[in-house]
Amino acid sequence: MLHIIAMLSIACGLIFFAGATVGILRFPDFYTRLHAAGKLDTLGVLLAMAGLALYNLHPFSIEALLTSLKILLAVAFTFIASPTATHAIVDAGVRAGLRPWTKQEDDQQ
Amino acid sequence: MLIHAALEFPVWGDPNAPAHLHVAPEYLERAYEETATPNVVTAILADYRGYDTMFETAVIFSAGLACFFLLRTRSRKDPGDRFFRHLATDMVIRIQNPSMKIPDTPYLQPMDSFWTPRSTIVRAASRVLAPFIQLYALYVVAHGHYSPGGGFQGGVILGASFILIALSHDLRTCMRQTPEKLIGVLSPAGVLFYAGVGILCVLAGGNFLDYGALAGWFGMAREAARSLGILLVEMGVAACVMATMVIIYANLSSAGGHRQGL
Repeated sequence: MLHIIAMLSIACGLIFFAGATVGILRFPDFYTRLHAAGKLDTLGVLLAMAGLALYNLHPFSIEALLTSLKILLAVAFTFIASPTATHAIVDAGVRAGLRPWTKQEDDQQ
Repeated sequence: MLIHAALEFPVWGDPNAPAHLHVAPEYLERAYEETATPNVVTAILADYRGYDTMFETAVIFSAGLACFFLLRTRSRKDPGDRFFRHLATDMVIRIQNPSMKIPDTPYLQPMDSFWTPRSTIVRAASRVLAPFIQLYALYVVAHGHYSPGGGFQGGVILGASFILIALSHDLRTCMRQTPEKLIGVLSPAGVLFYAGVGILCVLAGGNFLDYGALAGWFGMAREAARSLGILLVEMGVAACVMATMVIIYANLSSAGGHRQGL
């Protein structure tokens, strides 16, 4: 039962990762690509790592619990660091004067 | 001749190469029994190949020293315009007269001509994360016996946390937390600590860096003493690497001035 939940969680995480990849490849400009990468990667990591933590718990022992807790700590770290990094890159783009993509520009080309 | 000799080398990854026939199985079998360290890489790096690692640490220290000597300048000949920010009103004062002294008050913050305010989100997040990064660095240093890690990796993570502070705030904030004198002492102190452990082994009656000789002093088994010796030298390595990272970053990013930077 625990393994099924864990695998469902990992599979959901992989779907989010796939979405992020498609977004990076298909979106028209810097900001939208970062939007896809930042949001979906964070959620994908959350789901995949939570799945791994659950999967690790099955033959239950204190060591396994400790490992799962470390995985969850890594998730918490990513949950703070990844959006901050995305924000910093977008901020740098705005400061450097990169203008967001609009539909009109695309029509002109 | 070198190329000709290189042709005679065993094929890359050849399982029958001389290095894999005798030396590697020997280490794999005996490392745990002799040093009580499950991570064979750490045991070889810090115990069997202790000399090598000591001079690697010395190389890192001399890299920091070279950076310091090449770049560090105490005072520029032409300081140019100086900028100060009045903290209460956010007004910026520009001073063109280089001989004019500015009193050291808490109301005026010296700032760089190309300074831009950092995003609050980035500053807050780095401030929250930095202590945890440092804690993790210490964990990596101490856990090198059991998992990938050790002095070099832990030292790099520790140094990176200070560089993160310098990037997200400014270089001055970083240099307030790690004063130049402190890191300037820590960097050679790490190497000397490593060598000191070696000399301690000589005093205890063994060879240089033969940690097993410390067993009598600490009243523990020879294997446990070697494990402890590895931990001690890893701490020296970590201190040296951390200080050198900060020295190199501070000097490179500010062209040796330490007053402004990225």
